[in-house]
Amino acid sequence: MSSDLVMDTCLLAGSIILKNGGETYRTEETMALIAKAAGMDDVNSSATPTSIILSFRCSGFDHTRMVRTPKRTTNLNKITLVNDVSRQFVGGKINLEQAYRTLREIDQKKQIYPKWLQHLAAATASGSFSMLAGGDWGSLIPSAMAGLIVNLSQEYLEQFVRMKFFTEFSAALLGGLFALLTVTIFPQLHLSIIIIGAMLPLFPGIAITNSLRDLMAGDLVAGVSRGVEAMLTAVSVAVATAIILSFTR
Amino acid sequence: MLLQGLALSFASSVAWCVLFNVPVRTIVAGGFAGVIGFLVYSILPIYGAEVLLSTFVSAAAVSLLSQLLSIILRVPSTNFSVAGIIPLVPGSLAYKAMLAFVNNDYVGGITLATKTLMVAGAIASGLIFGISVLTIWKGARYAGKRAQRD
Repeated sequence: MSSDLVMDTCLLAGSIILKNGGETYRTEETMALIAKAAGMDDVNSSATPTSIILSFRCSGFDHTRMVRTPKRTTNLNKITLVNDVSRQFVGGKINLEQAYRTLREIDQKKQIYPKWLQHLAAATASGSFSMLAGGDWGSLIPSAMAGLIVNLSQEYLEQFVRMKFFTEFSAALLGGLFALLTVTIFPQLHLSIIIIGAMLPLFPGIAITNSLRDLMAGDLVAGVSRGVEAMLTAVSVAVATAIILSFTR
Repeated sequence: MLLQGLALSFASSVAWCVLFNVPVRTIVAGGFAGVIGFLVYSILPIYGAEVLLSTFVSAAAVSLLSQLLSIILRVPSTNFSVAGIIPLVPGSLAYKAMLAFVNNDYVGGITLATKTLMVAGAIASGLIFGISVLTIWKGARYAGKRAQRD
């Protein structure tokens, strides 16, 4: 079995997991499992949220390579698929070439839900969360629209700004401005309920859960860096909210 | 009232599943995790539990449930736990804290912000608790197998 193909397969599997919002411990584990199942000795893998290093020994030679994953999104479907592939390979159901080809296909896959459905989902999440926070039926539509605006602006601003935290800050600001506008036009609505709902699409859920999983698995560097990511997002949303609220005084 | 809350928590959890592109066959299970979380979160205060305790217990329930679902459906447990904790997010507390800061009520703001942080910590520790219970169980089974072999 050629060591190059093993290396390529492992790194591809690892970078798909890391790029799409998987935990770093899952990245390390998957790469190590594939390499060990392919018959490599002395397997060591290390991942941080931005880079992967893998090294193993194959017939007397050491191989080490490192890749960086600068751009990260969230697509849990791809992680599930990679998980399936690695299970099948480790279980001996497919060979290495098949695994590599399947991984390439997974990497090229688009998101399973179309864009409009995702925006609709953001609106649903915002609307129903604002009602859970104590709103009445009248506040459902405005907060759903505010959530839609937050999600839309987050997606489109990211293409111009290319800076995650500033994008989130501006998206929160735009959503808050919409809430403010709605309350000015319809004074019987509550500003608080609409803002609470509108900020939900920005909640760093993946970052928080992944940071905890990484910390639990003993990956202190990865866990802390994800935790800081979540903190920065929360702070930028909070500051945007504070700016909006200062207009109401 | 409770029924409406259950429907809403289901809706928001499913919406988060869609936002995070979870596989189609696990969407309903993700919504179910959110419903269980909300159910525990809203039932415990009736028996006199503080908000921190009920948040902790419901996050632990969500985490345990997502571990079980991940074993049954053979997908990573993140698929469920991320969507399941959405109904527990302390959105209104964070908002009130921000409002207090803006109104120059710094003492009240710090009180509310600390409360928010405590609730967030309760969610975090509940998730960790759920993960570690299953890890301990797995470890115990592994140790038992090794003891049999030796």
